[in-house]
Amino acid sequence: MGFLWTGTWILVLVLHSTPIQAFPTLGGSQDKSLHNRELSAERPLNEQIAEAEADKIKKTYPPENKPGDSNYSFVDNLNLLKAITEKEKTEKERQSVRSSSFDNKLNVEDVDSTKNRKLIDDYDSTKSGLDHKFQDDPDGLHQLDGTPLTAEDIVHKIATRIYEENDRGVFDKIVSKLLNLGLITESQAHTLEDEVAEALQKLISKEANNYEEELNKSTSRTENQAGKIPEKVTPMAAIQDGFNNGENDETVSNTLTLTNGLERRTKTYGEDNFEELQYFPNFYALLKSIDSEKEAKEKETLITIMKTLIDFVKMMVKYGTISPEEGVSYLVPSEKSHEETDSTKEEAAKMEKEYGTLKDSTKDDSSNPGGKTDEPKGKTEAYLEAIRKNIEWLKKHDKKGNKEDYDLSKMRDFINQQADAYVEKGILDKEEADAIKRIYSSL
Amino acid sequence: MVGRRGRALLALSVALAACGWLLGAEAQEPGAPAAGMRRRRRLQQEDGISFEYHRYPELREALVSVWLQCTAISRIYTVGRSFEGRELLVIELSDNPGVHEPGEPEFKYIGNMHGNEAVGRELLIFLAQYLCNEYQKGNETIVNLIHNTRIHIMPSLNPDGFEKAASQPGELKDWFVGRSNAQGIDLNRNFPDLDRIVYVNEKEGGPNNHLLKNLKKIVDQNTKLAPETKAVIHWIMDIPFVLSANLHGGDLVANYPYDETRSGSAHEYSSCPDDAIFKSVARAYSSFNPAMSDSNRPPCRKNDDDSSFVDGTTNGGAWYSVPGGMQDFNYLSSNCFEITVELSCEKFPPEESLKNYWEDNKNSLISYLEQIHRGVKGFVRDLQGNPIANATISVEGIDHDITSAKDGDYWRLLVPGNYKLTASAPGYLAITKKVAVPYSPAVGVDFELESFSERKEEEKEELMEWWKMMSETLNF
Repeated sequence: MGFLWTGTWILVLVLHSTPIQAFPTLGGSQDKSLHNRELSAERPLNEQIAEAEADKIKKTYPPENKPGDSNYSFVDNLNLLKAITEKEKTEKERQSVRSSSFDNKLNVEDVDSTKNRKLIDDYDSTKSGLDHKFQDDPDGLHQLDGTPLTAEDIVHKIATRIYEENDRGVFDKIVSKLLNLGLITESQAHTLEDEVAEALQKLISKEANNYEEELNKSTSRTENQAGKIPEKVTPMAAIQDGFNNGENDETVSNTLTLTNGLERRTKTYGEDNFEELQYFPNFYALLKSIDSEKEAKEKETLITIMKTLIDFVKMMVKYGTISPEEGVSYLVPSEKSHEETDSTKEEAAKMEKEYGTLKDSTKDDSSNPGGKTDEPKGKTEAYLEAIRKNIEWLKKHDKKGNKEDYDLSKMRDFINQQADAYVEKGILDKEEADAIKRIYSSL
Repeated sequence: MVGRRGRALLALSVALAACGWLLGAEAQEPGAPAAGMRRRRRLQQEDGISFEYHRYPELREALVSVWLQCTAISRIYTVGRSFEGRELLVIELSDNPGVHEPGEPEFKYIGNMHGNEAVGRELLIFLAQYLCNEYQKGNETIVNLIHNTRIHIMPSLNPDGFEKAASQPGELKDWFVGRSNAQGIDLNRNFPDLDRIVYVNEKEGGPNNHLLKNLKKIVDQNTKLAPETKAVIHWIMDIPFVLSANLHGGDLVANYPYDETRSGSAHEYSSCPDDAIFKSVARAYSSFNPAMSDSNRPPCRKNDDDSSFVDGTTNGGAWYSVPGGMQDFNYLSSNCFEITVELSCEKFPPEESLKNYWEDNKNSLISYLEQIHRGVKGFVRDLQGNPIANATISVEGIDHDITSAKDGDYWRLLVPGNYKLTASAPGYLAITKKVAVPYSPAVGVDFELESFSERKEEEKEELMEWWKMMSETLNF
C-alpha cells in the first residue's frame, strides 16, 4: 500500500516537474556557405549614383515669379510702419507722455525724416493727386508734396496692394490680427465689407480710366460717391472675378451690401456712424472723450481710422478668406451676453499684450537663424487658435454636470504643470510656456 | 488739452501702426516669391494643417499646436537627442496620454530616419493634426482608434540630417545630402544586426525573438551606435509596441521583413515566420495609396528592378538586402512588428506636392493604424488574478513567440485562421487554447496559469483525500 502510494506520488512529481517548452524549429537552408557568406550591404552605390544623375538631368527647374517693382516701395513703407508700430506698442504699455515723445520716437525710428504724423484735415479733398501720386511714392510715409499721409491714404495704399497682388493672404493676416488686437467685433463685420470694397472699387476704376477722371473726383466726397454709382457694376464684377473663390452666394449678398454701403457713404459723418462705432469699445471711449467742438477734426479722423480698419476686415470677410465667426471668435461671439463681452475684452487686451511680449522676446532670440519677424506672430496665432479650439471642445464635452469654472481651473493647473515640464524637457521655450500659462490664466 | 490730443494721436498712431504692422508682417516673408508663395500657402492650408516643409522649430511648434488643441488626448515627449542636440520629439495620442492602459496596444510611426527623405516627416506632422481635428469633430473611426490605441508619432528620427538636406538651395535636392545623421552614420544600417544571429540560430538551434535581452548593457556601451539609434532602442525596450511603420522615400512600396538575405546575396526572398501577417498589413497600407498599389505604375527610375513588388508591397530581401535596419531589429528584439514604407520616388519633392502626398497617404496611414486591432489579444495571469509579465505566447505553426507586457497583457497579430495558442512562463504550467481568428477585430483570449508549487499543493491535497478515503474504506 505504502509502496503504491509512494510510487504514485513519485510518478506524479516526475510528470509535473518537467515544464513544457517550445523549441524553435530549424528552418532555412542547410547550406554551410552560410558561415562564409559575404553580405552585400546595400544597393550598390554605383547604381544609386547613376540613378541620381539621371534624375538630375531629367528634371527642369521652373523659374519663380518675381514680384513687381512697385511692391518694393511698399515693402519699404511697411518696414517703416512696422518699426513705428513696435516702438508704439512698448510706449503704450509704459503709459508715458504721448504726444511729444511719440513724435520724437517716430523721428528716431524713421529712415527718412518723416513729418509729424498728426492728422490732417484735408482727407476729403486730397484725393485729387493722392492715388496717382502714392503709386510713385518710394517713401511710404509722406506724399510727394510733403504732406503727411492720412488715414484715407493708408486705406488706398492697402487697397492698391491688394489689387496689385491679387492676393487674399494680405487680408488673412490683417483680419485675424486686428481681431486679436481687439479693434473690431463681429457685429461690425458686415458693415465693413462695403467700405473696403468701395476702396478697392475706386482703385480699379482709377486704373481702368484715365487720370482725368481722378481730377474729376477731386471735388467733395459726396459728389464722388454719386458719380460712382453707375460705374459700380463693372468694377464690382472685376473685384468679384479677381477675388471670388467661387462662393456665389456671397457675391450676391456682397452686391447688396455694397449698395447699402454706398448709400450710407453719401451721408456725412453724423450720429449714425458714431453709434456704429460704439461697438468698438476702445475707440468709442476715445471718441467720447474728445470734445466735439474743440477737436472736431480729430474726432472725424478717428472715425475715419476706425472705418478704415473696419474696411479691411469687411473685405477679408467678404472675399471669404476668413469667416466672421472664425476671426471674431477670438473676441466676442455674437451670442454672448454683455457680461461675457466684458471679460473677453479683457482677454483681448491680454492677447494683445501677449502679442507684444512674445514678439519682443522672440526678436531677441538670436538662435533663430531664419529670423523671420513674422514667425513669432504666426506661432502665437497658431497657439491661440489651438487653445481656443481646445476650450471650445472641452466646453462641448464637459456638460455632464461639471461646472465650467471648475474645469477651467483644473485645466489651468494641468497646463501650468505640463508647460513647466515641457520647458524642462526642451519641448517648449520658457517664453512660450509663460505665454501659454498667461493665456490660460486670463480665461 | 495735451491729454486729449495725446489720446487721439495715440489712437491714430496705433491704428495706423497696426495697419502698417500687419502689412509689414505680410511683406516680410523671405526666401519666396512674395505673391505666389503666399497664394500657394493660402491654398495649402486646411484646418490647421499647413502643407509646407517644417524645419525643426516649425516641427516643434506644429506639435505644440496639436497638443494645445487636444490637451485631453495628447502629450509630447522626447526619447533623446540627436547628435547636434535636437530633441527626438514624439507626440502621443490616446484617451489617457502618458499612461499604458492594460490591454491597450501601442503603435508607433517613425519618419525621416534618412534626413533627406522628407515626405514621411511631413505626413506625420499632418497626421498628428488630422487625428486631433477629426477626434474633435467626432469622427468615429478616429475616436475609436484613439480610445483603444496608444499612438506614438515621431516625425523625425534624424532632425540633423533633415536640416542639412533642407538647407540646400533651390528645389532640386541631392540624393545623398542629409541622409545620414550628423556623424555620417546611416541610421538604417546602424542597428545591431540580429538577422545574422537568427539565421545562425535557424540552423543550429536557438531563439528568433527577443534576442537583445542580454545585450542591453552592450548597447549602451557600444560606441558605434549613434545617439539616435540608442534612443530608439531604449524606446523600443521601454514601451511594449505591437505594430509600427518606418517611413522613407526614394521609392513607392511597403516593405516587410526580413530585410537581410539569408545567403548574403543581393536579392533573395527572405521570409520571416510571420510572412503572412506582414504581407497582410503591408497591403493594408499600400492598397489605400493609389500610386503605390497601381500595378501598372512604371518604376520610379527607368532601370529600377521592381520585380519583387506585389500589390505595392515587397519582401525586404527580395528587393535588396539591408543589414542593420530598424525594421528587422524591432521584430527580432521585441514584440513589435514593423514595416518600412517608401512614400515617394523623389526623396525631397517640391513643397507644392506635399498636399497631394497627404491626400494619397492619409487613408493608408489610418488603415495601417487599424491593423493593430487584429489577431488575438488578452491577459496572462496566475490563479490569483495577478498579471504574469514576460510570459511567452507561442502559436503552433508560426515559429516566432511574443511575450506579455508588465500588466500581463499581450497582442498577437495573426491573419484569419484557426490557431492553437500556448501561454507559458517559468514556474508555471503551460496552457494551450484553440482560437478561431477572423480578419478583425482581435479575439480576446486570457490565460490563467497555475504555478508548479500550486500544482504540487493540489496534488498533495488530492493524495491526502485519496489516502483518507482509502483508509476509511479499508479501515486502517
